[in-house]
Amino acid sequence: MKRLAAVVALLGMAAVSACSSTDNKPAATGGAAAAAAVYTTVDGNKPGIDPAGPANPFAPKGNSFSGYNAMKLAWVKNHLTDPNQFYPGIAESWEIATDNSSVTIKLQPNNKWSDGSPVTAEDVKLSIAIAYTQGNTAFTQVPGAAGSASEVTVVDDKTIKVTQDMANPVTTFARGVLDTPVVPAKLWSSVVGADIWDKIKAARTEGADAEAARTYLTELGKKIIAHNPGQDLSAGPYVLERVNASAALLKKNPHFYNAANVAPEKVQLLNFTGNEQVWNYLIQGKLDSSPFVAVPADTMTKIKATAGNQVIKGYSPVVVGLAFNQSKAPYDNVHVRRGLAYLINREEVTQIASPEGGTAAVTTSGIHQKAAAEWLGAELGNLEPFATDVAKAEEEFKAAGLKKSGDKWTLADGKPWKVSMHAPAGFSDWVAAQENIKNQLIKAGVDAEVVTTADFPLYQTEMAEGKYDTGFWLIGLGPAPYNIFQRIYGAANGWANIGGKVTHNAPGKNGNWMGSKEEVEVEGLGKVNPGELTAKLNAVSPEEQKALMLQLAKTANADLPVIQLWDYVNTQFQNTTRFTGFPADDSDLLRLPHGVWIQLGLVKAKS
Amino acid sequence: MTVVLKKLAGHLARGLVMILVVATISFFIVRNIPGDPMKAALEMKVAAGADPVAAAQEVKVIYGFQPTGSMWSQYVDYLAGLATFDLGTSTLHAGQPVTEVLTESAKWTVLPVLLGILMSFLVGVILGVYAALRRSSKLGDILAISGSLLHGVPQYVLGLLLAAIFATSLGWFPSEGGVADILIEPGFTPEYIGTLIRHAALPVLTYALASYGGWVLAMKSSVVTVLGDDFILASELRGMKRSIIFRYVARNAILPLFTILALSLGLLFAGAVFIERIFNYPGLGLKLIDSVTNRDYALMSGAFLLITVAIVVANILADLLYTVIDPRVRQ
Repeated sequence: MKRLAAVVALLGMAAVSACSSTDNKPAATGGAAAAAAVYTTVDGNKPGIDPAGPANPFAPKGNSFSGYNAMKLAWVKNHLTDPNQFYPGIAESWEIATDNSSVTIKLQPNNKWSDGSPVTAEDVKLSIAIAYTQGNTAFTQVPGAAGSASEVTVVDDKTIKVTQDMANPVTTFARGVLDTPVVPAKLWSSVVGADIWDKIKAARTEGADAEAARTYLTELGKKIIAHNPGQDLSAGPYVLERVNASAALLKKNPHFYNAANVAPEKVQLLNFTGNEQVWNYLIQGKLDSSPFVAVPADTMTKIKATAGNQVIKGYSPVVVGLAFNQSKAPYDNVHVRRGLAYLINREEVTQIASPEGGTAAVTTSGIHQKAAAEWLGAELGNLEPFATDVAKAEEEFKAAGLKKSGDKWTLADGKPWKVSMHAPAGFSDWVAAQENIKNQLIKAGVDAEVVTTADFPLYQTEMAEGKYDTGFWLIGLGPAPYNIFQRIYGAANGWANIGGKVTHNAPGKNGNWMGSKEEVEVEGLGKVNPGELTAKLNAVSPEEQKALMLQLAKTANADLPVIQLWDYVNTQFQNTTRFTGFPADDSDLLRLPHGVWIQLGLVKAKS
Repeated sequence: MTVVLKKLAGHLARGLVMILVVATISFFIVRNIPGDPMKAALEMKVAAGADPVAAAQEVKVIYGFQPTGSMWSQYVDYLAGLATFDLGTSTLHAGQPVTEVLTESAKWTVLPVLLGILMSFLVGVILGVYAALRRSSKLGDILAISGSLLHGVPQYVLGLLLAAIFATSLGWFPSEGGVADILIEPGFTPEYIGTLIRHAALPVLTYALASYGGWVLAMKSSVVTVLGDDFILASELRGMKRSIIFRYVARNAILPLFTILALSLGLLFAGAVFIERIFNYPGLGLKLIDSVTNRDYALMSGAFLLITVAIVVANILADLLYTVIDPRVRQ
C-alpha cells in the first residue's frame, strides 16, 4: 500500500511538473545566468537525431556534430573565388607550397582530447588514413586521380606534412587536406588496423592486388561508419553529455585549446525532421541561431516578430537553373532556349518562389552573381542579360523555325508544342517557380505544364535517364571553379574527367541527360569544347583560371544549356536575447557550422 | 483446453504462412520502388557544398550496406535471415541492425498508441452504454453525434487541430515534438516523468479521440441489440434488479468489441504514421517515412514485416480471446 501511495504521489508530482514545465519556453526563462549557460540551435546537416547513434563523425546518423564535438583540421571559408582559405581548427596554421605540391600543418599546441590527452600528429595521420576509406579529394583510392596525396609525413608531434602527387595536380589540394575530420587514434586505431598504409599504397597502383586493396578499403569504410567508439572523445569545444530523440546535449570540453573563450557552458541541438519544426522553434524564440531553412513569407513575418530574432543574409554558392534536355526537340535548337529565356521574367519567378532566400539572376553565366562579379569583373556586364522581351523571343522562335498558329506557338511541322517542366513534390519553391513560369509562358502563347515527381530520388533517377524535357538543376556550386562549371559541363552533360583525362559520352549514355554538343560555336571565341575547358580549371594558375572562367561564362551565356533563374541567399536567423557576437551580413562565417563561431570565441553571453 | 490448443496450432500455422507471403510481397515491392537513393544522396551532398568526387566515394560507402547480387539471391538471404530474426542492416543508420533500429523506435509508438487505445476504449465503452440506455435523451443524442463526428474526422486532421490549438496557439504543449526535454536529467523523477507526459500528451490525445467515436457507436449499437434480446425481457419480467440486468447487457454487448480491440492493438505499429509526423514523435511511423524517403530497403521491409506480424498475432489473440470469454464459441 505504501509503495502504491509512493507511485501515486510521484505521478501526481509528475502531472504537476508536466503542467508547469517550461521546456516549451526559451531558455531565457531560467534567468540571465541560466540563459547564457545553454546555447540552443539545430544542426542543419543532421535532421532526425538518433539516440542510438554512435559518437562517430563518419556515421550519417552519428552523434558527432561538426564544429561542436567533431573537428576538422581547418574550416573551409568557401571564399567567393579562393577555395584555399580557412579558419583554424585542429590546425593552428598551415603553409601551402607555391606550386601546391605540399601542405605543412602545425597543430594547435595546447589542444587536448576531452580526457586530457594531447592531440598529436599521429592522430591526424590516422584520420588521414580513415579519409582514404570515406571520400576526400586529397585522399583517394583511385590511381592517378587528380589532386591526390602521395605522401603523409609526421614531422614532429605537432607538425605533419602532406605531399601532392604532381603527376596530376590540382590547385585545391590544400582544401581537400585541411577539410579532413580528426579522430583520436586511441579509439580508432583498432578498427583501422596496423597495415592500413600498405593497403593504401597498394590501392593506388594498378593490377589485381590493387583491386583487392581497394575492395579492402571500401569494406573498411563500412566498418568505420558503423563503428561505435563507446565514448565521445572530443577535441572540439564540446563533448556529448546525453542524447534523446528530442535533442542532443553537449557540455563544454575544458581541455579545448580556446576553452577560455567558449561562452556557452552547454549546447543543445534540437531535433528536426522538416523545416516546419525549425520555423516553430524560431517563432517561439527557442533558437539562439539557426542555419539556412527555406521559409514562406507569412512564417517569416512571424519569425521576425519574435523578440530578439534577426535575419542575417550572406552568400550561398548555389544557383537554380532551368536545364534543358537537348536530346529532345525543340530544345536542341539554341534559338528555342534563348526564346524561352527572353520570355521568363526571373524577378517575378523569384518573388513568387523564394522572396527571402533568393535574388533573381541578372544573366546566365553559370556562376552565382556575387562570384561572377569577382571572376568576370566588367565583362559580366557584356553578357546578354536576357531581360524579358517578347519581341526578341518571337524573333528567336522564328529563327528556330517554330510557327505561330493563332495565339499559340507550334513546332516547325505544325504539331503542338508544350514545355514540360519537372520538379520533385515537396520542393515547394521549385514547384511554385515552375507554376509561375508556366503561367508566363502560356500568356506568351507557349503551352506549358508542371509535372511533379513523387520524391527526390525518383526525380534524380528519371532526370539522369533523360525522361524529362526540362527540369530544375542546381548550378554554380562553388567556390572551386572546377566545381562551378562541372555542374553544366560535367558528367550530366557528357564530359567524364577520370584521372585528368577528359572524354565525352554521347547523349543518353553514362548519365549524359543534358545532351549539349561536344563543341559549341561562340561569338568571339570560335569553337569551344566547354568540358575540356572545365577540366583545365582544376590545375591552372589563378590568372589562367580567370581567363577560362570568362570563356566558360560566355559559352554558357551564348549556348544556354541552362537558364539561370535565381541565386540562393544564405538566410539565417539569430536571437540576440541571450547571446551576442554573431557574424554579420555577408560574413564568410555564415557558411560554417555555428559551433565554429563559438569555438573561435565570437559568441558571447549577454550580460 | 484441447479445443483451444488445437485452435492455436491452426492459427499459428496459418499465421506463419501469412507472414511468409507478406514478407515475400513486401520484399519485392520495396526493392522495386523506382528512384535511385545514391543519386539523390550524392546530389544532396554536392548541393550542400561537398566536393563531387569526395561525395561520390562517401555515398558509395554508405550505400555499401545495401545487399548486392541478384534479386533471387537477395531474397534467399533475406528469408535465411528471417529464420534467425535478422532483418538485415540499415543503410540510413549505416550498419546498424534493423532489429535494433526498429526496437528503439517501436517503444515510442507502442506506449502512446496503447495508452490512447485503452483510454478511448474505456471511455467509449462506458459512454456507449450510457448513450444506448439514454438513447431518447438529449445527452444520449449528444454522445451519439460526438461519436459520429469524431469517427468521421481523419486522424491527421484531428492531430493538426490539436497541434494548432494546444501547442501553437495556447502553447500548453511542445509543438516541435520529441520525447523529453534534454535539459532534464533522465530518471524516475517527477520532472522527467512530467516532461515525458508533456511530450506524449498530444499524440496520445489524438489516438484517443480518433478512436473514441468508433467505440461509442459500436458499444451503443451492441447494447441496443442486446436490450432487445428475449433473455433481457425475461429477466425484467422475473423482476430482477436493474444492476443485475445491466451486468447481463454489458457482458453480452461487449463481446464483439473485444474482437475490435484486439485487432486495433494489432494496428499499434501501423496507425502512427500521420500522428508521429504531425507531432514529430520519433516512433515507428516516422522511421517508416524516413526509410521510404531514403530508400532504406532493409528498414522498410523490416517495418512492414513488424506491422504484419503484429496484425497476425492480434488476429490470433482475438480469436483465442473470444474462445475464452464466450462459452458458446467453445462449444
